[in-house]
Amino acid sequence: MDALQSNRRQFLKLLGTTAVIGAVAPEALARRGPTTLTILHTNDVHSRLDPFPMDGSRNAGRGGVARRATLVRAIRQEQVDGHPRNVLLFDAGDIFQGTPYFNLYKGEPEILAMNQLGYDAGTIGNHDFDGGIDNMVTQFGKATFPMLIANYDFKNTVLDGRTMPYKIFTKEGVKIGVFGLGIRPEGLIPKDAYRETKYLDPIEIGNDMAATLRNDKKCDYVICLSHLGFKYDGPTVSDNVLAAQTRHIDGIIGGHTHTFLEAPVQVNNRDGQPVWINQVGFAGINLGRIDLTFEKGKVTASGQSVAVKG
Amino acid sequence: MKQLLVLITLAGLSACQPGGYHLTSRTARRIGIDSASAPADSSVARFLLPYRQGLDRSMNEVLTRSTGRIEKGPPGAPLNNLLTDALLQQASLRYGKPIDCSHLNYGGIRNNLPEGNITTGSIFEVMPFDNQLVIMTVTGTMLQQLLDHFAKGDKLVMGGLRARIRGGQVHDVAFTNGRTLQPNETYTVAMSDYVADGGDNTGFLRNPVRRETLTYLIRDTLIDYFRQQGKSGQPITPTSDGRFTVE
Repeated sequence: MDALQSNRRQFLKLLGTTAVIGAVAPEALARRGPTTLTILHTNDVHSRLDPFPMDGSRNAGRGGVARRATLVRAIRQEQVDGHPRNVLLFDAGDIFQGTPYFNLYKGEPEILAMNQLGYDAGTIGNHDFDGGIDNMVTQFGKATFPMLIANYDFKNTVLDGRTMPYKIFTKEGVKIGVFGLGIRPEGLIPKDAYRETKYLDPIEIGNDMAATLRNDKKCDYVICLSHLGFKYDGPTVSDNVLAAQTRHIDGIIGGHTHTFLEAPVQVNNRDGQPVWINQVGFAGINLGRIDLTFEKGKVTASGQSVAVKG
Repeated sequence: MKQLLVLITLAGLSACQPGGYHLTSRTARRIGIDSASAPADSSVARFLLPYRQGLDRSMNEVLTRSTGRIEKGPPGAPLNNLLTDALLQQASLRYGKPIDCSHLNYGGIRNNLPEGNITTGSIFEVMPFDNQLVIMTVTGTMLQQLLDHFAKGDKLVMGGLRARIRGGQVHDVAFTNGRTLQPNETYTVAMSDYVADGGDNTGFLRNPVRRETLTYLIRDTLIDYFRQQGKSGQPITPTSDGRFTVE
């Protein structure tokens, strides 16, 4: 490689960096006002691609992925201060199983439809194992979004390297750290479906993940996509237990128990900070929407944001 | 070039101190999805169409015919018998050896079978749940518990045996294969993982002699059975064979 080419390459590299900064920085510098971000979420959609049939039952005519697509698009097109709204779209597991679509197509239309809606991430529910772990490799392989799961160790399975523990999304400089937690497979999922998947303690992993995202990765907001379930009688770990026994999680988007929450439930974490837990039923009957507003502000030594008015 | 350097310096600074935003408000809303809240997105609807058409074709496959409506009911009702016999036959085929009896959860049978064509869709309506077939090897004592538990609520749905039910207790059990019920002998039962896992208050099944999960949905055992029946050309005739005498 001659010196000129090397220099040119260096220059292009520099230029490339500048171009990226140029695209982001002026906007971030120019906009001193608050940054808004909308989190949209579903859980336990259970292969309900079509609305429930009009058979007079309780959920007749509700749901449907094509309608959800319209709603999501409309929200994405909303203008905030002359910019399209910042939107993140998540799913909290059990994408699969529940209608004959899954039996026939093994999850392909569910995943491809989620691609069309522009999902940013999902986590794994117990029923996502129903087609077996090989099928998860096949179907998740078609997704344009990552499956986030931090407490399943897939090392000795074909899923090894096909999922991520967490992902960080940056919107106008605001860093949103998102990680996933799954439910204990034993007794819930046939062994020959989950095979050598190792289940790790969700409280321990949740604490580690949230601390990493907050302290090391400097995330402004930490979200857990959870398929643990909202709440149980007894000591079984749930979103309520997770929220209370951890630090640094700001919001839990839950699933598994098909809980219809009218509004997020607030639980204080180990630092006394409020955690929002939300879950919106099942079958794509509802779309959850959480609007967050951020302002540039001081951060204390513990990493917790301090609200600064004005 | 000067400006460029400034920008790079800024980037360096922000890399040392990323984040630094704080939440000033959060609000939430639950948006119901129905025809009133949003029309279907045409491109997603178009994408789904071939999948739905394939599904319709598959659900409309005629497996076999019935000479009459086949209904679910108290112990020994025609649909109870037909489904447990189908389960026993298919389970034995898949297991590779004979199984003593079969059990279905009364509450898991969600519809009756129509007169005329029985389609894949009909079986999905009867058995919408994705329960896996498990083969439980249990002692005679545990099997007696199972029989009595379901007989109490008039919800005993079994194949492969005949018996008398008196005051919620099951007596005089005679297996189709000639065996009798002895407390200390072991028996194989084909059933759903739901019941094997303690569903419908069957916690007493917690410690069977052996439990084997066949990766075979209960519904698929039925679809396979009815498709096979259809190949024989003989329609199904619903019958109560008197396997349970309720006294």
